[in-house]
Amino acid sequence: MELRRYIVRRMIQVIIIFFLILTVLFLLFRLAPGDPVSMMVDPDMTQEDAEILIVQLGLDQPIGVQYLIYLKNFFTGHFGFSFHYGEPVVDIIWNRLPNTILLFTTSIILSALVGVFLGKIASWHKGKKTDSLMTIGALVTHTLFLPWLALILIWIFAYKFGWFPINGMISEEVWLDPEAGFIAKALDVMYHMVLPLFTLFLIHFGAYLLIMRSSMLETLKEDYILTARAKGLTEKVIRDHHAAPNAALPVVTSVGLSLAFSINGGALTETVFTWPGIGRELVSSVSQNDYPLALACFLMIAGVVLVSNLVVDVLYAYLDPRIRY
Amino acid sequence: MAILEVENVSIGYNTKKGYLKAVERVSFTLDEGGSLGFVGESGCGKTTIGMALMGLLPPNGSVREGRILFEGKNTLRMSDEEIRKIRWREMAMIFQAAMNALNPVQRVGNQIAEAILVHDLSIGKEEAMGQVEALFELVGIPRDRLRDYPHQYSGGMKQRAVIAMALACHPKLIIADEPTTALDVIVQDQILGEIKDLQKEFDLSIIFISHDISIVADMCNDIGVMYAGQLVEFGPREQVFESPAHPYTKALLSSFPTVTGKKSDLIPIPGETPNLVVPPTGCRFCDRCSEPGPSCKTETPAWVEIGPGHKTLCCRC
Amino acid sequence: MTESDSSNRMTAKEKYPWITSFLEGWSIFRQNLLGKIGLVLLIIFALMAICSYIPPWISPMYNPMTGVDPEITSCTPPSLRHWLGTDFMGRDILSQLLAGARIAFMVGISAAVMSIVLGVSIGMTAGYMGKFVDTLLMRLADMIMVMPTLLVVLLLSAVFGQLNIWTIVLIIALFRWPGVSRIIRGQTLSLKQRPFIEAAKVAGASHFRIIFMHIMPNVLPLAFLFMTFRVTSAIITEAALAFLGFGDPGTVSWGMMLQWVWKTGHMFQAPYWLLPPGICISLITLSFYMLGRAMDEVLDPRLRKEDQTD
Repeated sequence: MELRRYIVRRMIQVIIIFFLILTVLFLLFRLAPGDPVSMMVDPDMTQEDAEILIVQLGLDQPIGVQYLIYLKNFFTGHFGFSFHYGEPVVDIIWNRLPNTILLFTTSIILSALVGVFLGKIASWHKGKKTDSLMTIGALVTHTLFLPWLALILIWIFAYKFGWFPINGMISEEVWLDPEAGFIAKALDVMYHMVLPLFTLFLIHFGAYLLIMRSSMLETLKEDYILTARAKGLTEKVIRDHHAAPNAALPVVTSVGLSLAFSINGGALTETVFTWPGIGRELVSSVSQNDYPLALACFLMIAGVVLVSNLVVDVLYAYLDPRIRY
Repeated sequence: MAILEVENVSIGYNTKKGYLKAVERVSFTLDEGGSLGFVGESGCGKTTIGMALMGLLPPNGSVREGRILFEGKNTLRMSDEEIRKIRWREMAMIFQAAMNALNPVQRVGNQIAEAILVHDLSIGKEEAMGQVEALFELVGIPRDRLRDYPHQYSGGMKQRAVIAMALACHPKLIIADEPTTALDVIVQDQILGEIKDLQKEFDLSIIFISHDISIVADMCNDIGVMYAGQLVEFGPREQVFESPAHPYTKALLSSFPTVTGKKSDLIPIPGETPNLVVPPTGCRFCDRCSEPGPSCKTETPAWVEIGPGHKTLCCRC
Repeated sequence: MTESDSSNRMTAKEKYPWITSFLEGWSIFRQNLLGKIGLVLLIIFALMAICSYIPPWISPMYNPMTGVDPEITSCTPPSLRHWLGTDFMGRDILSQLLAGARIAFMVGISAAVMSIVLGVSIGMTAGYMGKFVDTLLMRLADMIMVMPTLLVVLLLSAVFGQLNIWTIVLIIALFRWPGVSRIIRGQTLSLKQRPFIEAAKVAGASHFRIIFMHIMPNVLPLAFLFMTFRVTSAIITEAALAFLGFGDPGTVSWGMMLQWVWKTGHMFQAPYWLLPPGICISLITLSFYMLGRAMDEVLDPRLRKEDQTD
């Protein structure tokens, strides 16, 4: 019951923050140099179409009314038309969003799980070779420059060895083949996902490893660990059932705090691997001055970060009864 | 018959500043069903003794010499696995609950059941929970709090849960390390009373560690006074109370309000405890002693029998 | 040693307590191998930045941006004339790399200083004033914290057109203060309870004076620690932005170099061009990170709870 109340409270906070972001972006685009019409209406449109769009977006109205229309359009899914694709922005977003979520969530879950597991092992072997190797490995991979790492991985595993595709998310021959079933298509996507996923994983797991390691070492000094030892539990049970669940809590917090950082990395990875996600769409829309698409992509990314933040908080509350009750 | 014999035990820690001699040549015996209290300031080594008895010294600590005979077997010679098996089953510990002795992310009932399950492989989870319920009744925690988490308990309830946990495997010996510190006086009184009742009911042997000499006197038949890693006075409580021999015991007695509430001035003990990396020669209490003799600084004190079972480590007695 | 000698020494120590605490800190730091490696690497990078003035001085063809070797018009491997080879236009890669070090330090340190100044001032204000001010500032911090800095800069460059390097630095600083201010706020809250602050209040010191004369000296070591982490995050953000093609076209940064390799399709053909800038960005990040961790150990280890992933 208490958990539900906590979730509701956090959801309200998320909605308020999103609303503020929405407002700030509106002001940003209206206060920018140049007139709003040139920012929201494709210069290549016919005069007639442009006028219809101007009315639809309320660009002929005073700014207060414009804001209300902007909000209404947002909640009814009218994001305008992309200059570059000439399609409704909302269609492009819906097409790209799942791809981003797939890559983003898989990479975070994978790196957090592996980071926690390896961090636990490193703390068991504190001061020994395993520990120093892991700590140094984590430091080095975590500080690699992501786009560069992506290029190097493509160079080695896709170009030299030819084990994986150089870029993209699907192979046309599989998807155009009418015989290919769901499994074949899923396998094809997974095959394309290996390198982007590995890139994100390498960058992220190190931070979680280091946090888990030091958190584990701190937790092992707690009194309840002494109690557990006094109870005659084996060392393995003490570490896995008493220390690890407590030590993992700061890792969960840090996953939440680093989400914004992770989505930056996600956008870079998508761009280098031409993974058809929202981050890559944001990058290309910015370079093509496709303002409506850029605005919508940014809002969606902010939404993804906020929602994942909420999910992480709920997970934390689930893992720590002190928050839940 | 003696359940526990400690002979000439010295314990030390490797620290950054050097080897810290936390406990030096301590010997005592505890009879089955008996109760023994250790009293002294923080850092005098009383907790270290408790941890050494349980085999729970931290990695930088070790027993340098001596023997600890539990039911005639030397626990210092046992392998980790052997000592793990007698922990809690034979001797258990009541920790200070205010110190986070319970795991914050596990339900209290499960934490106690875990202790039962690890030592009795023949019973299942449900039976163990049934036993925990009985233990809760024994220490006076309502049954419906079994599935709560530690932070939902009050300080007194946490302490009761810790006591219930100590009793879970029906041990013969219980070591209670400051079990009531940080509780308010009324709860402290209730809990001490409960421990006394439980001791009688289960015929437990108890080692009671506290900085408060009045509590120790209330709980135990024998009292050991510790100072700077050494046992300085040992004897039946009546004797230690009525005719304290060591100047430190005298000072301790006058620095606490008496149990009976007798009016007397509380006298603080001046000075600080000595550095245990390089302990002073001669008597360690000399610098703070109210009546030091001429040879105290140089002469190593020896044990002096004062009465039956009452002895002290003082040059001037 | 005479008596006056030793008494002089005493007063010197008492007069400058920071000298002793610095020496103590240094002796802890010296035991940290990774910290020492980090420091050495940073000194090397600093030397690179200083040396960046040398090649253009030798010959205009070594100018990292505009200098083109008259005999070379394409990407060439290392040679005596160009130790690390040339890029697709015949520009010297080594001089670009050296210039990149200068930009990295400039971006990293100026963005870090700005964000730390902001973070410390906001954190102290929030912690000291409490109540409404505190809630407002911390909500603002929460909001900015969930913003991906790189993508924010991208969006702003969409709206305002090409950004120059100082604007980029400013935006990074504006979006990177919340983490610092949270920590500083926590420190301030605990300092506020100390007797010497109470004493200053009773003595009639103004809020401004209490914050800057009494609280600030106590939170500065912590702020300095955070600066090392902020330096890395600024360098990475600028590099990523340049890599995506939104950097300042008037500067040569390592990210920009990678962009050129990537966009001109040389990444599989010219490892001598692809490897150096990437290694430099990664190594400078690593060294600041290792330095930060070592300094963390020097300061109170209990203070480090906040996450350091960016």
